[in-house]
Amino acid sequence: MAALLVELGVALVALALAGIAANRLSLSVIPAYILVGILVGPNPPTEVAGLSLQIVGYGEFVELAAELGVVVLLFFLGLEFSVGQLLDDRRRIASAGVVDFVLNFGMGIVIGLSFGRTPLETVLLAGIVYISSSAIVTKTLIEQGWIANPEADPVLGTLVFEDILIAVYLAVVAALVTGTGGLSGAVVDVGVAFAFLGGLALVAWYATRFVEATFDLPSDELFLLSVVGTATLIAGVALSIGVSEAVAAFFVGTAFSQTSHTERIEHVIAPARDLFAAFFFFSIGLQTDVTLLAGVAGLLAVAVVTTTVTKLTSGAISGRIYGLSPTRSLRTGLALISRGEFSLIIAALVVSAAGSGNDALADFAPVVTAFAVGYVLVMSVLGTVLVQYADVITGRLVPLLDR
Amino acid sequence: MTIYEAEVPGVGHKFEFELEGDARLVVIIHHDGKRDVYRRPDPDADSERLFSLSDKQARQFGSILEGAHFQPVDLDEVQVPLGDSLIEWYDIADLDEGPPIVGETLAESNLREAIGVSVVAIQRGEETIANPEATETVRAGDTLVVLGTREQQHEFEELLDA
Repeated sequence: MAALLVELGVALVALALAGIAANRLSLSVIPAYILVGILVGPNPPTEVAGLSLQIVGYGEFVELAAELGVVVLLFFLGLEFSVGQLLDDRRRIASAGVVDFVLNFGMGIVIGLSFGRTPLETVLLAGIVYISSSAIVTKTLIEQGWIANPEADPVLGTLVFEDILIAVYLAVVAALVTGTGGLSGAVVDVGVAFAFLGGLALVAWYATRFVEATFDLPSDELFLLSVVGTATLIAGVALSIGVSEAVAAFFVGTAFSQTSHTERIEHVIAPARDLFAAFFFFSIGLQTDVTLLAGVAGLLAVAVVTTTVTKLTSGAISGRIYGLSPTRSLRTGLALISRGEFSLIIAALVVSAAGSGNDALADFAPVVTAFAVGYVLVMSVLGTVLVQYADVITGRLVPLLDR
Repeated sequence: MTIYEAEVPGVGHKFEFELEGDARLVVIIHHDGKRDVYRRPDPDADSERLFSLSDKQARQFGSILEGAHFQPVDLDEVQVPLGDSLIEWYDIADLDEGPPIVGETLAESNLREAIGVSVVAIQRGEETIANPEATETVRAGDTLVVLGTREQQHEFEELLDA
């Protein structure tokens, strides 16, 4: 037990230090947490100046904490999902969201096929390069002060659309990768997933008053236990019948989104989310073998360049859909370039499917992890840095657009 | 004056408050209670962050803005109503050509009989003469505290300006 506790302590302290360093550099903490995982984990680098760097193993505790991280991250996404905002602004959100999906997911499909990947692998790659990071994008908006400008509308509208799309996407993909194979098997698996999640979504929609009354608890600790317990239990049941636990947690979150508990959840449960989400990014780092990056370098380079351009373009078009000036439209694109947690959740899904016996993915799983980690490391930093130089970039690009 | 409110997913709430012209104040209330206040001078300009406050600071600051601690009053218009009568303050100009009552005692100026107003106090520098005797002489630079109806006050003001 002593050795395990020390191991956990090393992990947490290393995460804290990396987070502090990232804050100093005005970068997102996500790449910092991943790098710490790579550094102290079992894969290379394994030692520095004779000192072992294989300090923390990928044990059951980290695996479970990381899984909780996914559940709580998606629970919060559901909690903050605003049906009202979506309905009020559905035409513009749908237009911007479709442009974003077609350009970026489409580019992912093109890249996957041209690198000779199977259709399933291509769909997974496309998902990874498509979806922006809500966490990094929102933080960027606040730090740049753009949150108080009109460009916040298309950025947040696009994120809302991506939230729905990722829920559907994860539901389908989770059924496909864990499935027994064969077209008819896949149809059944996807059918089961949609039946379960559709039922959950309906319950979430109609259970507002029940949720309101049931979770009206006097003490914060009981509130924390009940909410996290409910989300974890439903996610666990979903996973045990082959349905995406992440999407189940998303719908549990939406059940709370219309109640008066949202503010309390933000206060009481956000610290738990931050802790477990850190474990999720850390565990991704632990499982990453950086030596595999060499094998995906070409794919990675192509993906980084093309999907930076497609995100900038789709964002700029979304800005125009919202009637914004060229400068603000380009900012919309710049803000959305960062990819993060969702790309990694897709990669983690592939790894766990391969681990639970899907042989078709056995070779692809380490590749997709290396690719997703490399991609997120580059895109999270690149996205943040490009935004910091937004004035220079828009200053150069706007005259070209006006021509 | 319109206030726009919107939910900001993952952040909290946003309020936009119209000022003069096209300017707007933009207030972001984070889920953790932090408030960021921005000002956007016109629709094409970028919002500038003015200040950030914690939840507690914002509540205290808000109550100051609201006037809970001090409600300002226009000092030139101070009037204390007493039934139909008002109490008003009159500064007697410190001039050579002062109003006719300067240099007269209250009895001599006969204000109560002629106009109906009563001089209830005289402020003279640091000193306040409450309920002055009829033999008290009005001097240039005095402030007279005068009780009377609105018409009587008006008449007294005309006498001073004469």
